[in-house]
Amino acid sequence: MPTAAPPASRSTLRFSWIDVLVLAAVAGFAAIVAYRINDVLNYHWRWSRIAVYLVRWDADRGVWVANLLLRGFFTTLRLAIWGIVWAAALGLVMGIFRTSRSLAPRFAAFLYVGLVRNTPPLVFIFIFYFFISSQLVPLLELESLVAKASPTTLAAIDFLCGDPKLFVNFLTGLMCLALFEGAYVTEIVRAGIQSIERGQWEAGGALGLSRGQLLRLILLPQAFRRILPPLAGQFISLIKTSSIVSLISIQELTFSASEVAVTTGAVFEVWLTVAAMYLAICYACSVAFARLERRFSSAGGN
Amino acid sequence: MTDIRRILLMALALMFAFTAAPRAQDIRQQLSSSSVIEEIKKRGVLRVGLSTFVPWSMRDTKGELIGFEIDVANKVAADMGVKTEFVPTAWDGIIPALLAGKFDVIISGMSITPQRNLTVNFTIPYAHSGQQMTANKKLAGNFKSLDEFNDPKVTITCRRGTSTCVAAQKVFPKVTLRQFDDEAQCLQEVLNGNAFAVITSAPKPKMWTLDNPDVLFMPTEENLTKSDEAFAVRKGDPDAINFFDNWILFNTSNGWLAERHDYWFKGNAWKEQVAKQ
Repeated sequence: MPTAAPPASRSTLRFSWIDVLVLAAVAGFAAIVAYRINDVLNYHWRWSRIAVYLVRWDADRGVWVANLLLRGFFTTLRLAIWGIVWAAALGLVMGIFRTSRSLAPRFAAFLYVGLVRNTPPLVFIFIFYFFISSQLVPLLELESLVAKASPTTLAAIDFLCGDPKLFVNFLTGLMCLALFEGAYVTEIVRAGIQSIERGQWEAGGALGLSRGQLLRLILLPQAFRRILPPLAGQFISLIKTSSIVSLISIQELTFSASEVAVTTGAVFEVWLTVAAMYLAICYACSVAFARLERRFSSAGGN
Repeated sequence: MTDIRRILLMALALMFAFTAAPRAQDIRQQLSSSSVIEEIKKRGVLRVGLSTFVPWSMRDTKGELIGFEIDVANKVAADMGVKTEFVPTAWDGIIPALLAGKFDVIISGMSITPQRNLTVNFTIPYAHSGQQMTANKKLAGNFKSLDEFNDPKVTITCRRGTSTCVAAQKVFPKVTLRQFDDEAQCLQEVLNGNAFAVITSAPKPKMWTLDNPDVLFMPTEENLTKSDEAFAVRKGDPDAINFFDNWILFNTSNGWLAERHDYWFKGNAWKEQVAKQ
């Protein structure tokens, strides 16, 4: 099956005069904005005030340690990675349910997607946090488990999920995020599976494959390649949505940033730094997915 | 006849006394064992919900929480013989989070209002503060009296969901209010000249004015309104209210609360801990 030729080859970057004109216009606009900010905005830039909230010198131990903003950055990074893992897992299961032939799984997945996808993220997170997680989390008795955990377990939690004292807090945020984004992934997975041509299903059936084998060996590998681009978009959106769990006091980047902004009064410095941090995570995510896409399109034999 | 009746009545009364007495005791026991105070003692940790609010609670350069609330909460915990755990919470969700059991008590400069009191219980006040205003010199510098602020053309900023917004509306009913989620944004709007003034609890307007003497001025040194800040706990817990009330009473009488309040609200000794220029 031939694929369409890529619109622009990666190795040839040619500048035409239009490109130069556009770049000059962008640079000019940036200069005007910078000038206006300095001139119109009554603002003392105090970058030094927030530097200490990124990393600080721990005089007692004689090492540099991450401070609030960087710790928030790592929490967001952990939320992003775990969120992607869980949303993908949930989306895969629910997506398969959506295409199931029996009614019960199909209906369960339909209900899940219907309920989650048609609620605004903020409303969903508030409902989940105040009604569901406050019932669920005490049942799991996680707090006492963490309190009794051995030093190795605590170190593992610290590495994987951040400060053990905030483990339950982190988990609540993660559940919210994974459940919310999982609904969108479900639909992407469903569309991917259903996009595989009828003939493939029938051929698999003719070979005597069970439905599980059909999914695992024929449908999912092909669907995976097709859904990579929308999946990348969804995961980038997940990273950005993670900022709203700050409202339920998950101490990620946005929450820490607002605390630092209020304390220091260096509002713009803080939010510009935070924007750069989100940009870095999201950009890294898109680069990773672009690589994955290239690998699969070259090795896939499409 | 009357004797028989009397004996019967006494027997009846005794029966009631025996059946009713243990029941009342049960309820009392249940009530006090389900009190959050018992829970805290059993857990060994007092969980305090708070929101960043200079100088009530803020982050020092080490990223640790410091402030008036922190001192108060730590002393409460020390007096109970337990540790403190702070749960920094977004102000918008602090009351629902208390009701959902995310922490035991709100110690976050929350002023008593009848509306809030319908959903949570308040202790007696542990701090008395008021609202101050600081204004943009360019926009409001030529105002001759406070009355001139009371105009729909004048915009004033305040932090959403706080009693400040209510107070601002009361003092200047005609003014256009713009509400933001945190105080840094409220102040920035005034510094940028997008709003005439910002109202918030003392002593921040005064501190901001001293920080930005070219842009800001205080139209009046007086507090616009007065408010009383108290701990908030979940409803239906008389033991908790009694304990916290008397803790506050005790530490008001011995002067500890006033001394800490002056340290954070009147002094500058802590400024070094927050941000070095």
